[in-house]
Amino acid sequence: MNKLWQDVRYGLRQLRKSPGFTLTAVITLALGIGANAAIFTLVQGILLRSLPFSDPNQLYRIGDKDDCCVEGGFVGDNGDFDIYSYDLYLQFKQSAPEFEQLAAMRAGFGGFSVRRGNEIAKELTGEYVSGNYFSTLGIGSYLGRVFSDSDDTPSAAPVVVLSYEGWQNEFASDTSIVGSTISVETHPFTVIGIAPRGFFGDRITGNPPMFWIPLNTEPTISGNGSILHHPDSNFLYAVGRVKPGTPIPALQAKLSATMREWMKTRPVYTENGASAEIPKQHVTVVPAGGGIQNLQQEAGDGLTMLMILSSVVLLIACANIANLLLARATARKAEVSLRMALGSGRSRLVRQIFTESVLLSLIGGLVGLAVAYAGSRVILILAFPGAKHLPVSATPSWQVLGFAFGISLLTGALFGTTPAWISTHAQPAEVLRGSSRSTSDRSSLPQKALVVFQAALSLVLLVGAALMTKSLNKLEHQNFGLHTENRYVAHFDPHGAGYSLDRLPALYHEIQNRFESLPGVTGVGLAMYSPLEGDNWGECIIQQGHPAPRPGEHCGSTWDRVSAGYLDVIGVPKVRGREFTDQDTATSLPVAIVNETFVKRFFPNQDPIGRHFGIDDVKYSGSWEIIGVFKDFKINNPKEEPRPVYLRPMTQYYKPYTESGFISTEDQSMYANSIMLRFNRPQQDADALIRRTLASIDPNLTINDLRSLDAQVADNFDQDRLLARLTTLFGVLALILASVGLYGVTSYLVVRRTSEIGIRMALGSTRGRVVQLVLRSVAWQIGLGLALGIPSTLLAGHYMKSQLYGVSEYDATAMIAGVVVLCCCALIAGFIPARRAASIEPMQALRTE
Amino acid sequence: MSGTIIEIENLTKVFYTDEIETHALSGVHLTIDRGEYVAMSGPSGCGKSTLLSIIGLLDTPTGGRYTLNGKEVANLNFADRSRIRNQEIGFIFQSFNLIGDLTVAENVELPLTYRTGMPSSERKKKVQESLERVNMAHRMRHYPAQLSGGQQQRVAVARALAGSPSILLADEPTGNLDSKNGEAVMKLLQELHQEGATICMVTHDPRFAAHAERQIHLFDGKVVAEGELNQLLAEV
Repeated sequence: MNKLWQDVRYGLRQLRKSPGFTLTAVITLALGIGANAAIFTLVQGILLRSLPFSDPNQLYRIGDKDDCCVEGGFVGDNGDFDIYSYDLYLQFKQSAPEFEQLAAMRAGFGGFSVRRGNEIAKELTGEYVSGNYFSTLGIGSYLGRVFSDSDDTPSAAPVVVLSYEGWQNEFASDTSIVGSTISVETHPFTVIGIAPRGFFGDRITGNPPMFWIPLNTEPTISGNGSILHHPDSNFLYAVGRVKPGTPIPALQAKLSATMREWMKTRPVYTENGASAEIPKQHVTVVPAGGGIQNLQQEAGDGLTMLMILSSVVLLIACANIANLLLARATARKAEVSLRMALGSGRSRLVRQIFTESVLLSLIGGLVGLAVAYAGSRVILILAFPGAKHLPVSATPSWQVLGFAFGISLLTGALFGTTPAWISTHAQPAEVLRGSSRSTSDRSSLPQKALVVFQAALSLVLLVGAALMTKSLNKLEHQNFGLHTENRYVAHFDPHGAGYSLDRLPALYHEIQNRFESLPGVTGVGLAMYSPLEGDNWGECIIQQGHPAPRPGEHCGSTWDRVSAGYLDVIGVPKVRGREFTDQDTATSLPVAIVNETFVKRFFPNQDPIGRHFGIDDVKYSGSWEIIGVFKDFKINNPKEEPRPVYLRPMTQYYKPYTESGFISTEDQSMYANSIMLRFNRPQQDADALIRRTLASIDPNLTINDLRSLDAQVADNFDQDRLLARLTTLFGVLALILASVGLYGVTSYLVVRRTSEIGIRMALGSTRGRVVQLVLRSVAWQIGLGLALGIPSTLLAGHYMKSQLYGVSEYDATAMIAGVVVLCCCALIAGFIPARRAASIEPMQALRTE
Repeated sequence: MSGTIIEIENLTKVFYTDEIETHALSGVHLTIDRGEYVAMSGPSGCGKSTLLSIIGLLDTPTGGRYTLNGKEVANLNFADRSRIRNQEIGFIFQSFNLIGDLTVAENVELPLTYRTGMPSSERKKKVQESLERVNMAHRMRHYPAQLSGGQQQRVAVARALAGSPSILLADEPTGNLDSKNGEAVMKLLQELHQEGATICMVTHDPRFAAHAERQIHLFDGKVVAEGELNQLLAEV
């Protein structure tokens, strides 16, 4: 122990004696370890963490994919069900006693207008859950109580449980809120409790629920638009606590069988030959200790890629450290020889040098943690821009601390061993011989190999960064088919403000008139949802005169309701026919306008104007007459090719529906969510102006979200932007580290070769030839690096393919850019020591030993 | 062929370190004729190595004239000095100064590679001849580290000879050798001289200086005695 302490003290003294070396090594390690720990914080917070449920290993979800948020009929093409109707959930619950408890939760969160007393209403995220939701997850209350089964019945008094964050931030931590009444979408709810701190719900998301309400309150809130009791509307996820010892494969088979039996009782799954599809319908039961894995599935590939890229940065940093330590070991050969001459054993020296390396790594790891903390915060902000209550903390957890400590130790051990071994193979007699009689840089071979390795890895990161940046650029600058400049979208909630269907036409008319009269406004449009805001309503199209589509037939189309002039406001041109006018009302001919893809899919080689179509049922196939065709534009996923889209007038209610599910959808669709405004110039005060105008129409109409259409479109690329920025950051980091490595090795070699350079000059070499000599060595290293790096880059590109948009994984421009940048940096890093070498005076060089 | 190769008049060299001026050479006059074998000696710090480095165009004088082969070379630029050094001067260093990563043949070929327009075949021929001249042709594919000190110095001599220089400059060529190898190298220089080579050697060992036909003795940066060995001995 005493000897170890002695080694530590001596090691610290040695590091203090060489501040340049120590600083370079610590910064290099800190960047490498910091980048990894920051990404690991994110990976651990999102991918690896169990949510704070009790006995999380007992929790299983029925279903394994997203499939949000409301689906009718079969889900997906492969028969894998993940989302269920309330009726099917009850079937599962009844037929599977293997579950101690089985809870249901709405797949998509909703924004609810919430008001306390006479305060202004706020738009808060809420989630419908079954009465056994908290008990299934093993979550108690922080204050008051959580739901029981009796709270989730049709006759129960409406109650709400607030999240701890919601209670703190939206209700100022007022403990008297428990027991009081708040209004949710104008309906009174009693707050019965506060969920514990750190519980953000059943999944990780950037915008977790601020409160939970029982599923059976959904009919109260949604009114005619309720889907709770529609057996064909799948909108719930199911998570249960399985009894210990239950075989999961058997449970999965049993639940699949239950679902198939239930389907046989539902016309939507049996009519038009659909029964043939039932045998392949199944569920997958997966562990749910980490909650519902939507974000994990969405971000998993990106995070894995970032983890690999940051590991590459760490490898480059380690190569730099190894190079530094090797150079230092060579420089200390004389000291080591002297120590051996004075009687030190090899093991003692190895331990000493090893201790120094580990000390250095630990200091680097400590500084790296600071880098990681700052890095994690930045990454979280980039990953969840606009998130109010992040469920992932930037503070390094014990796992992250352990990870950083582990890689510090590993780095120190790995890169301390070789220099220690090299140092102790010096001969004690060297101390008497002094200098060597012939110059040689043969000992620098490992260092050159490390530079080759660094150059190869840097190329991978640089080209990766170029690919991701190019992909982001293609995404952001693609032709969306609409104009975004000087457009603003205000999201509001007339349903939450208490508007009934009959009051909506007047409200929309008033909104249209008031906003149109604002100075600078050149267009106003209303829509059920606006382009690229993340919402998407879809239905199965049936053309008039056609039979019902067979199961598996592609009949889906996105649809939206818009006001007259809406397409003009968002800059989507008409191709044929006409757009909606104010005369397209509830009493006029039911009409629709469609996009070009819709025409190609459902009316190929036909004139669509005057044709009729409907949805879901043949008897409704003549519902709407097509009166116009507009050009394709991106309405939902900007990465996908345009889908068929049809639009219906905002105020045209379709009355012939008799089924409650159709009526409910029709009712819901009448509520506009977006006011789209076009200004004649950039509007600095748009926010205040829009809020003021809407409040003047009705103070109960609150704006949930207001942003430019540019910003709304840009939000679609948050993850791509994060990936592009981080890969660029890692690329630049790698380039800097590799350049520093190359510069260090070249400088070191120049010093080592001073005498040789002197000889060459004495023999007649010019300065230019000396520069050439040094740069030739650099060129060899970079050339070999490229030879290794180019195939590695092509391989890496193959694995990055899924993250790219509009860019080939083998993009030549990105490859050339990476090669050019690497070569330029290498040239600069090599030229500085080369010039220094050329300025050596031959006599001085010959005296140098 | 006879005539003067080196003519030095009133040569001075001053080193400036901080505020101290060190006069390494103070008004040196020297001529060396073609075919001569000159030894320069003197105590440590007398300026003999400085003089040799200026003669070898490794350094520039502070003042005075230096004519090599009839051409004023004292104030040439670096590139011209490199070219002349490559073509006119052959160096033999005390510590051999062979390049460890190059083979014996590559070391000898090195100065020839700095000459423009010399074909590879000619370079190879000259390398072969030079190594044969010093009896090291059989080791041409070896690396310096595989040779003894005496062998390394013979390779260094071959390298100096390869470019057929006007003069061979030897700085303590036996300084790192034992007496047997030292004698062998001196014998080799003697033979080269007898074959017509002009040699200027720095040595502090009177035994080796005795091999030269003329000796120059320096002290405090000045030539204090000059003459044939017998003459100097008589003066002493």
